[in-house]
Amino acid sequence: MTRVAVVGGGLFRPDRVRYEVAEEGVAEAYRMLLEDTPELDPRDIEFVQLTYFSDHLNQQLCMAWVIQDYIGLHRKPGYRVEAGGSTPLDAVINAYYLIKSGYYDLILVTGWEWMSEVDTATTNEFIAAASDTDWDFTVGGYYNGYYAALETRHMQLYGETIEDLGRIAVKNRNNAVHNPYSQWRSEHGTGYVTLDDYFNDRIVAWPYRRWNCALISEGACVLLLASEKLARKYSDSPMWIEGVGLGTDSMRPGDRTANWVYKGVFPNDEKVYPDFVEKPLSPYPEMANFGFAREASSQAYRQAGIENPVKRLDLAELFAPYDGVELCLYEDLQFCGRGEGKNLVREGVVMRDGELPCQLSGGLTAFAHPVGATSLLQTLFLYWELGGMIPEKFGDKTLQVSGAEKALITGHGGTGCQGGVVIYSR
Amino acid sequence: MAEKKVEIVEDKISDVLKEWEEYARKGNWTVKGYRIVRAPAGPGKLGEEEKDEFMVVYRPHGVLYHHSLGKVSRFFRGLVEGKLYGTRCPKCETVYCPPRVHCWNPDCRAARAEWVELPLRGKVHTFSIMLFSADAFLEHLPFVLGYVQIEGTHTTLPIQVITPPTEVWVGQEVEIRFREERKGELMDIYAVPVPGQKPPEWSCLHRDPKNIKDLERYLEDVYKFLEKRFGIKKEDIQKKWEAAAK
Repeated sequence: MTRVAVVGGGLFRPDRVRYEVAEEGVAEAYRMLLEDTPELDPRDIEFVQLTYFSDHLNQQLCMAWVIQDYIGLHRKPGYRVEAGGSTPLDAVINAYYLIKSGYYDLILVTGWEWMSEVDTATTNEFIAAASDTDWDFTVGGYYNGYYAALETRHMQLYGETIEDLGRIAVKNRNNAVHNPYSQWRSEHGTGYVTLDDYFNDRIVAWPYRRWNCALISEGACVLLLASEKLARKYSDSPMWIEGVGLGTDSMRPGDRTANWVYKGVFPNDEKVYPDFVEKPLSPYPEMANFGFAREASSQAYRQAGIENPVKRLDLAELFAPYDGVELCLYEDLQFCGRGEGKNLVREGVVMRDGELPCQLSGGLTAFAHPVGATSLLQTLFLYWELGGMIPEKFGDKTLQVSGAEKALITGHGGTGCQGGVVIYSR
Repeated sequence: MAEKKVEIVEDKISDVLKEWEEYARKGNWTVKGYRIVRAPAGPGKLGEEEKDEFMVVYRPHGVLYHHSLGKVSRFFRGLVEGKLYGTRCPKCETVYCPPRVHCWNPDCRAARAEWVELPLRGKVHTFSIMLFSADAFLEHLPFVLGYVQIEGTHTTLPIQVITPPTEVWVGQEVEIRFREERKGELMDIYAVPVPGQKPPEWSCLHRDPKNIKDLERYLEDVYKFLEKRFGIKKEDIQKKWEAAAK
């Protein structure tokens, strides 16, 4: 079977509010791809994978059809995939499957989200409609509340502190100031922030402050994926997909204390449990960790032949809408053992100059989070990283990991209800 | 309809329907006005934007759904009646609250679960302290969102815990109470801590006194916001917590 590579991309800079509409934003991102890839004749694109999260943010169903015709790629096969925050990475994985299986050789993935057409509280409410609307939704916590409760549980079991969450928030902002496409830089300029600044930011859902939470963004991104036969025609530095994994967990996080499908599957993780807290029927992942990520990363590492991810990977872009999620994902992606996530922060492993820098782009809390485009933006960032193109693209070499060869990306939706992991290689 | 297969057993909505008819008549999706704005445009990095003028139109969208709560209607009718129900799988004996009428344990092959009445007691499995929320919940701020494991069940139920936000912890014992006016939703119930408990020294909120100070500082901002926006005074909120504890 053929190998599959990302061979190019383009973006429409995400920000809190953009006044071009989605189709125009996607067209601008597509135009950037075409400028960077003169060999690409649009007529040669065989399939268009379209992806956005929410219909009710823009009063428009089937926006994928609007987009596909606007950029003149109708007549081609194409459809939308949607799965909350997992949406854009699912689109990449879907394109991978379609090429890998031999159906197509050249696929354009387009993703976007326009999230500021209603006020902030309503945006939160609309997003929360991805939670169980008969249950979790009805008590007013919404995703800030759900994720904060998950982090409280993890913090209680494994002892990270508010400072640890602050270190992650500071790290991601101080990376984002070197990313000229980041929303943090658009809103706050290029100055560094400190842990003191973090503690002066307001608490929105304890243990989270505003800085710990994902941004609300409008923006777009496109990626070009090709089979081995075509990859080098379009790119001097194709980024190969070496491993792909998918995983799921329960819709309602509260049900994960009696999670029969996970019970006994990861016995070592079940053992790492403090004795002062009552043990639920299924101790892993329960409400503290992310089972989908454990499942997905295990599959992806197996395919990519990776046994020690911290040693083998050069950087990682995580889907961390909240900073506690980033810390928990270190564990579930097997960068460390369960309960040891805090050590990677304290020892600097995940910092810019650490052994495995995470969220160099700034991630969802400092780069941007236009849901349907987020993992595409992070993938494009990795394509530029593995191709050594960051200095040229950003006009700043700070974020370039020299000689970067392998990278991981993970995406997910809901409270870790569904997600994936992809391993990329130069 | 040729045959009347569905009959209304109880009606607690007809009066409200009139109000929503009026709302719909105001015109969903029709343009109410516009603004012209001058704003950054173009795809490029910061510092390389163009500027352009855009017309922004305003159009509403509000609808009233009718949604069956399915076979777990029993649970929500129980709330109206002042009772708390869960389900129990006859095969693996898992007790679910939130209830599921089919067991999700693969060994049980989607067995139909039985209804059981639950005691009005439980424990806080985990929680978050909300200092911001969507419009419909602003007047509840600040509030604790608790995932409460009802005694005898194996899952956890998301409900509000009515208590001063600095006085909640993992493992805290709570009683379930019913609000006076009930509509058949989770907001019909809330939890209050069983009196006489103290946070354990390992409580993640309490183990470092800095956490409480930090939280109190930002709670003050919420009180100021509530007074300014709704005229709700800090004392009123504290009285609400005291009343709930009784």
